[in-house]
Amino acid sequence: MTTAPVFAVVGHPNKGKSSVVATLSQNDAIAIALEPGTTRARQDYPLTVDGQKLYTLVDTPGFQRPRRVLQWLEAHSISASDHPETVRAFVLQHRGDDRFVDECELLAPIVAGAGIIYVVDGSVPYSAEHEAEMTILRWTGRPSLALINSIGEDDYSDTWQSALGQFFQVVRKFDAVRAPFEQHLSLLRAFGQLEPDWEKPLERATRFLSEQRHQRRHQSAGLIARALEDLMSYQEKRTLTLNQVAETSDASLAETLRDRWYQHQRKREQTLRIDIEHLYQHQRIRRQEAELQWHSQHDLFSEDTRKHWAVSKRYLATAGFGAGAVGGAGIDAMTLGSSMGTGALVGGLIGAAGSYFYGDRLLLPALNIGPLKDGLKTASFGPVQDSQFGYVVLGRAVDHWWHISHRNHAGRDLLELEPADHHWLEQLDKTSRREIQRAFDRCRKQRPLTHQQRENLTAAIEQAMSAYDDWRLNRA
Amino acid sequence: MSQNPLRLLLDFDDRIQRDRDQPSAFLHRRDRRFALDCEQQGITPDASHWLAHMDRLSGPGGTVTAGGRELRLWRRVNGGFVAAGCLIGILTMLGLLFYDGGQRINITVILAFVLFQLLLALATTVQALVGWQPWRWLLRRFHRDHASPTRARLQPLLMARAAHAGGVAFSLAGLATLLVMVVVQDLAFGWSTTLDTAASGYHSLVNNLATPWSWLWPAAVPSLELVEATRFFRAASGTTGIDPSRWGQWWPFVVMLWLTWTVIPRVLLLILSQGLLRHRAARLLARHPGMQALLYRMETATLDTGSSHNDAADLPDTRTRSRPDLLPDTPIMICWAGAGEPELPQRLQAPDTRIFRAGGRATLAQDDEVLAQVGDQLAGQKAPAVIVVTRSWEPPTGELHDFLETARERWPSGARVTLLPLASDPNRPPETHLVQPWLRFTERLAPGFASVALPPTDEPDPYLAGSVQP
Repeated sequence: MTTAPVFAVVGHPNKGKSSVVATLSQNDAIAIALEPGTTRARQDYPLTVDGQKLYTLVDTPGFQRPRRVLQWLEAHSISASDHPETVRAFVLQHRGDDRFVDECELLAPIVAGAGIIYVVDGSVPYSAEHEAEMTILRWTGRPSLALINSIGEDDYSDTWQSALGQFFQVVRKFDAVRAPFEQHLSLLRAFGQLEPDWEKPLERATRFLSEQRHQRRHQSAGLIARALEDLMSYQEKRTLTLNQVAETSDASLAETLRDRWYQHQRKREQTLRIDIEHLYQHQRIRRQEAELQWHSQHDLFSEDTRKHWAVSKRYLATAGFGAGAVGGAGIDAMTLGSSMGTGALVGGLIGAAGSYFYGDRLLLPALNIGPLKDGLKTASFGPVQDSQFGYVVLGRAVDHWWHISHRNHAGRDLLELEPADHHWLEQLDKTSRREIQRAFDRCRKQRPLTHQQRENLTAAIEQAMSAYDDWRLNRA
Repeated sequence: MSQNPLRLLLDFDDRIQRDRDQPSAFLHRRDRRFALDCEQQGITPDASHWLAHMDRLSGPGGTVTAGGRELRLWRRVNGGFVAAGCLIGILTMLGLLFYDGGQRINITVILAFVLFQLLLALATTVQALVGWQPWRWLLRRFHRDHASPTRARLQPLLMARAAHAGGVAFSLAGLATLLVMVVVQDLAFGWSTTLDTAASGYHSLVNNLATPWSWLWPAAVPSLELVEATRFFRAASGTTGIDPSRWGQWWPFVVMLWLTWTVIPRVLLLILSQGLLRHRAARLLARHPGMQALLYRMETATLDTGSSHNDAADLPDTRTRSRPDLLPDTPIMICWAGAGEPELPQRLQAPDTRIFRAGGRATLAQDDEVLAQVGDQLAGQKAPAVIVVTRSWEPPTGELHDFLETARERWPSGARVTLLPLASDPNRPPETHLVQPWLRFTERLAPGFASVALPPTDEPDPYLAGSVQP
């Protein structure tokens, strides 16, 4: 069995080597800073499938003294044929030498057989000053690929591309922070093209990565469905003893219950956020909406959020028509079709009318303070009676999912979740709308969803995610 | 591990519920590992193996499984139904056979009761199949916790089984009571109805009902004479002069009627409900979403992208103590690694400025030569100073460090170096975050030897306007 390919990511200091590795290895815990020398030792990032390595990325420190290394190499070489040997000799001789720690760290995997991924920053002007390090890399005789990363705003990638072509087999542009997932896969395939033996494992790896991404999308939909079910059916309950009843007024009891209800709902939403982030291996995201404040712009239930995320009356009416029609169709079935589908029509109309007139009112969740019984008084708040609440949560959740699934692991910026300015859910197909509405209605009545309904809701949410994806794509 | 599909389903459902909050990556790893182990041992992984594996890993002494708990609860419910069935069966039969020597025991009432029992038994089964649960509120009171959808689907069948068990107990207790009563008392059966029915019609009815046992026990099939002789009218007082022992000849029919049309159907329906329960449990297990997810996890390889390494906290110290200095008044300028190309900004150049080039494409020998030439120039100066122009975006490397260290050794003592990092547009000031590494670089050199200055521009100096950057 051949050993798995290794790729050493090398380059000048501060050109984004660690960013490239972080994105490709989906690891957001790699130290990345705008400081030269952040990476002080090489580190392996293997991709394994069932414990079997398919390839390894090696993050390395940048070149510090390339001209001195080259001078040493030139002084110890007679012809081009001994170049790789000479580089190996250099590493052997200078191991533990403080002056060449970084060079030994970065050259060691290459002399051991790694492919070279040479990273440059395409946002700064090209200069020929790095030729010494490129020459050293050429001396190793290993297959190589140059990667034009982009750290700043400017773009000099074209001049870099033509210049690097003289030194490297393949030159690719890859923005470690912004490159979409398809580009990650295409880059990995390009790695595989460097040597015939590497093609198969890299092809396999991209297939697995692609499947994993697909599965994550499905799992995200499941997580969102579960959260929606929890949020829509949650009820805050409190039982008071006789003494407590005497001390508390109904108004303050309602206030406490409401506060606790909101608190619980926000906490549940945060749990969903973290679950989705962890699913995509983002462990360290800083979010703008960490502390949800009442009446603040991004609050779950503020009027502003509602304006952004809630669906229109027309949307609710169509979803309501669907749900009503299903009920009505039951009547048709019972009359063995002799009602000629009138049941479905009437049911649909009733459903639509109900949704149109009552659906878009963000009613406060039902507050229910029971009578004093056996010395105890029970009061409850929720579940929320307005299905718009569900759409608000769904909209926010899908938006967060989209940002997370499109975020590369090299990204260290704050994740700002701004409300969308369009009712994208209206692009959702009718069946999915109906499934979502039906699930909301069931939860509202605190009736648990069956497995089938849960699956249908998950599928509908997955459709909603696609609709959102398309909408984002078209908007861009 | 029990192979009882019901227990298996309940245990499985409980395990899936408990796994709800586990990270999906962990679940995938765990289950894939199990599948790979099974493959090695040549076992086909299934739910019972999987559960056994989980329990084995957690070691002995685990609490009773959810399936065990649920089954125990239902055993109690069944026990309650059986006990109640026995009691009610005895009382009902005593009621049906109530005979104080006056009126006859009406066979028609017994027939109607048997029919009612049969309908009740069938209704229980149909209700279970349809899934209607009119008694749900009662269960909810006992259960308290929210039943999972899987348990909710099983409840009608479990309840039907309990009802049938109660029914069987009821009918058997009734039968036993009947037999005891036959032995210890003289029972007088007769038949009576308001309807204008001839004895032959009644005879054919009982004959039809007795068909199942007519070949087995002919004496238990009432003859036409018996039917004719035992009709009674409540309005007619006293006996009609027939032999009193004839009234009692109905008992074999009553026993067989009860056995065939009450006991046996109940037993059969109990067996059927048990079978249905097992069948539904097996089907629910196969279609359980957790099962589909488990199969997916077992079949799909786990993928680790190399995300385990964590050095996010291991960042270099970026505190900067020094601040940019003023540009010294010196004509000697070294452009490091291509800085100032194609040409330096006008405001940096004076007529007497001497520009040297080092680093980058220059060889190390050329660097040495520059050091020597600059050393000569500096010799004899009162305040020897050199400006080293750099590209702000190319961070300081070991080579520049070596160059400056050598310079310090070779140049006259007291010589000072000022680093001048230029932006890619040399007429603009370099970005603050690019200047910071240069400041920290000078801190790593010998104290007082090197400093950083910003290029003179028309724009205000950000360092003079604000405080020292962290």
